[in-house]
Amino acid sequence: MATALGTISEIDRELALRRVDPATGEPMQRTSVMTHIAWVPTQWVEAAEDVLTGLADRHPSRTIVLVPDPDAEEGIDANAEVMQFPLGNGRQVCVETIRVRLNGSRAEVPASVVQPLLLPDLPVFLRWRGVPPFGERPFEELIDVVDRLIVDSTEWPDLPAPYTQLAEVFDRVVVSDIAWARTSRWRPQLASLWPGIKDVKTIEVTGTEAQANLLAGWLRSRLRHDVALEHIQADRLAGVKVDGEPAPFPPGERPDPADLLSDELDRFSRDRVYEEAVRSA
Amino acid sequence: MTVTEPKHEEANPLLEGLQLHRTPDPCVLVIFGASGDLTRRKLFPALYSLALRRLLPDKFAVVGVARSPETDDEFRERMKEAVQEFGRDKVKDDVWNWLAEGMRYVSTDFADEDGENRVAKVLNELDRERGTGGNRVYYLAVPPDAISTLLHEIGERRTTEGWTRVIIEKPFGHDLASAQELNEEVKRHFSEQEIFRIDHYLGKETVQNLLALRFANGIFEPIWNRQFVDHVQITVAESIGIEGRAAFYERAGAIRDVFQNHLLQLLALTAMEPPIDFSADSVRNEKVKVLRALHTPGPKHVVRGQYGRGYVEGDEVPGYREEEGVAPDSLTETYVAAKLYVDNWRWADTPFYVRAGKRLARRETTIAIQFKRAPHPPFAIVDEEGLRPNVLVCHIQPDEGVSLEFLAKVPGQGVMLRAVHMDFLYGPTFRTGIPEAYERLLLDCFLGDATLFTRADEVEEQWSLVDAMVAFWKRDRPSFPNYAAGTWGPAASDELMNRDGRKWRRH
Repeated sequence: MATALGTISEIDRELALRRVDPATGEPMQRTSVMTHIAWVPTQWVEAAEDVLTGLADRHPSRTIVLVPDPDAEEGIDANAEVMQFPLGNGRQVCVETIRVRLNGSRAEVPASVVQPLLLPDLPVFLRWRGVPPFGERPFEELIDVVDRLIVDSTEWPDLPAPYTQLAEVFDRVVVSDIAWARTSRWRPQLASLWPGIKDVKTIEVTGTEAQANLLAGWLRSRLRHDVALEHIQADRLAGVKVDGEPAPFPPGERPDPADLLSDELDRFSRDRVYEEAVRSA
Repeated sequence: MTVTEPKHEEANPLLEGLQLHRTPDPCVLVIFGASGDLTRRKLFPALYSLALRRLLPDKFAVVGVARSPETDDEFRERMKEAVQEFGRDKVKDDVWNWLAEGMRYVSTDFADEDGENRVAKVLNELDRERGTGGNRVYYLAVPPDAISTLLHEIGERRTTEGWTRVIIEKPFGHDLASAQELNEEVKRHFSEQEIFRIDHYLGKETVQNLLALRFANGIFEPIWNRQFVDHVQITVAESIGIEGRAAFYERAGAIRDVFQNHLLQLLALTAMEPPIDFSADSVRNEKVKVLRALHTPGPKHVVRGQYGRGYVEGDEVPGYREEEGVAPDSLTETYVAAKLYVDNWRWADTPFYVRAGKRLARRETTIAIQFKRAPHPPFAIVDEEGLRPNVLVCHIQPDEGVSLEFLAKVPGQGVMLRAVHMDFLYGPTFRTGIPEAYERLLLDCFLGDATLFTRADEVEEQWSLVDAMVAFWKRDRPSFPNYAAGTWGPAASDELMNRDGRKWRRH
């Protein structure tokens, strides 16, 4: 059972203890390719856990799940877990998950909790569930200590307005948007319509609001002219019409959320095409 | 005079930033030797994995050719079972059905005129039905003596429509003369760019990772030379025996089965200079330079062995001479070790100890770079073990990865040193499933990329060295068997190292 930990040194000690295989007393090998921070307000905890389960296997990393609870009594309340993967020959390799509840005013200063827990010299990714509180202290602090911010604008209401604020952080942190990744199977299909698509006037997108806005923004920014958007709400990207003509349906299966997040974690550089699509959305 | 501006097509701005896979041209893969183990265990599982990841061209077909009588449906069913048994992916009906629709089987003898006509007819039908445009990849998974005949047949019948590529399985020839003869046959009908001599070791991710380790990291290359490296050890050890391949193995032995190809390729990749890019010719030019610089070892620097009865993983196993199909007085070697020198600026006087064998204590392929000892450690060293040299080990299989051995202080009073390992393990770090070597190599051939295939001059250089080593063997009669199955080879192999004050790495 996970022990409740109240300080960073208690977390460190707990991790060191858990890295020893209880059956053999031998230290397990730790493998990490990054530190992955997830900012998970209480209402997102369940969905975040599902994705993290699929992710640990693909991207062995130290994962720090931050659950802010400004209304709770002051302090931090953490637990540390070590997940083992058998390697054969009786050897084990392990990855670590640290869950931290940031209670009371701690929810305002997450960077001071996170920085001592980062793995040295490895990239740091921040997954932010829901709309980031642009301009507010927790968000501003965290984007300054990470290399990449990962959002899913499908989770955002009132689009496309929040894209304007998102575009303002592009020069401070590299941004990935899972909603954009979900359009990746469709973009080559639309590109294949070149040159017929060159003077497109209207696209009709059946999908989420985020996907519709991002695809329209992408076409506007690439083709350098206005493209009107007609959006039909659906929970997945199911079709795109270009001036009334359906674009060919992409081959292959739709990737699951863990795959999409995992693919974003493989990327390190700025995606200028995405940034321009956001600015034009 | 009016100058007309050249008309350029406007670039497609929507392609910017898209991550597009290079897709091969439509083609038909013709497998000669389709009833064999390679097709079942490796080729079809690899084709299925490529199909699952949508890496095959949309217009694709496979024609199996072999002597055994079989219908198209029987061939499809047998290959589906093979994918289920040996594939790394679970079979999905829609993917399999897509692949199976383009599968045909032709039963014929390889030199049979009528049979070849039937193959040609099926290929023409597939071009019409599947839109494969006359593009052909011929995979020669056949015994070495059938290769020449097939090359001639394919060459004579090649059409002007589409492109033709030929994949030839190892061994390519039996010695230098036969390899040259085969290369001549190849040249009569094909250009070098159309020939893909396969050595599946080069398709292994960890072998390619050796190039990444050396040439993508700034810290290793400056010390990758005679000034810092004491010696290199390359081991290709198998715990299995000859697995019913007596007819082939009696003629080949360890030197032709593994040393001539896998082992010399690993050596070339370890010792080569940085290529200017990762194109086929740049990489292969550098490998050939290493092979040309290899000094022929004298008889004292070569050890051969043959296994006798022994125990492997607790099971008693027969000696080589007791294996079915092996002559009771066979002098075929199942083990070979050698001390080689690469006579060039980088490696002069740095020995490369290499060994390959069957029925050894465990299956393991490693390249170990042993560095020179620290010149003057300021510690009181209590025993020889206390100052072990640093070793960088590339584990090719199993446990793919890289480990660095270095000394650390044992906690406590005084200075006690102990060798510790820092390990990078390929699988756990990436955890995406390492593609099989044949997937990479088949796809590269479909794309026309020969970087990971062996060029004519490489093969000839390899045989040239092997011929010189084998020539010494004709003068003596070894006392075989000289090592027990389940051990690390003959005592003479240890002596080869001990004479130089060195030891094979402990496993």
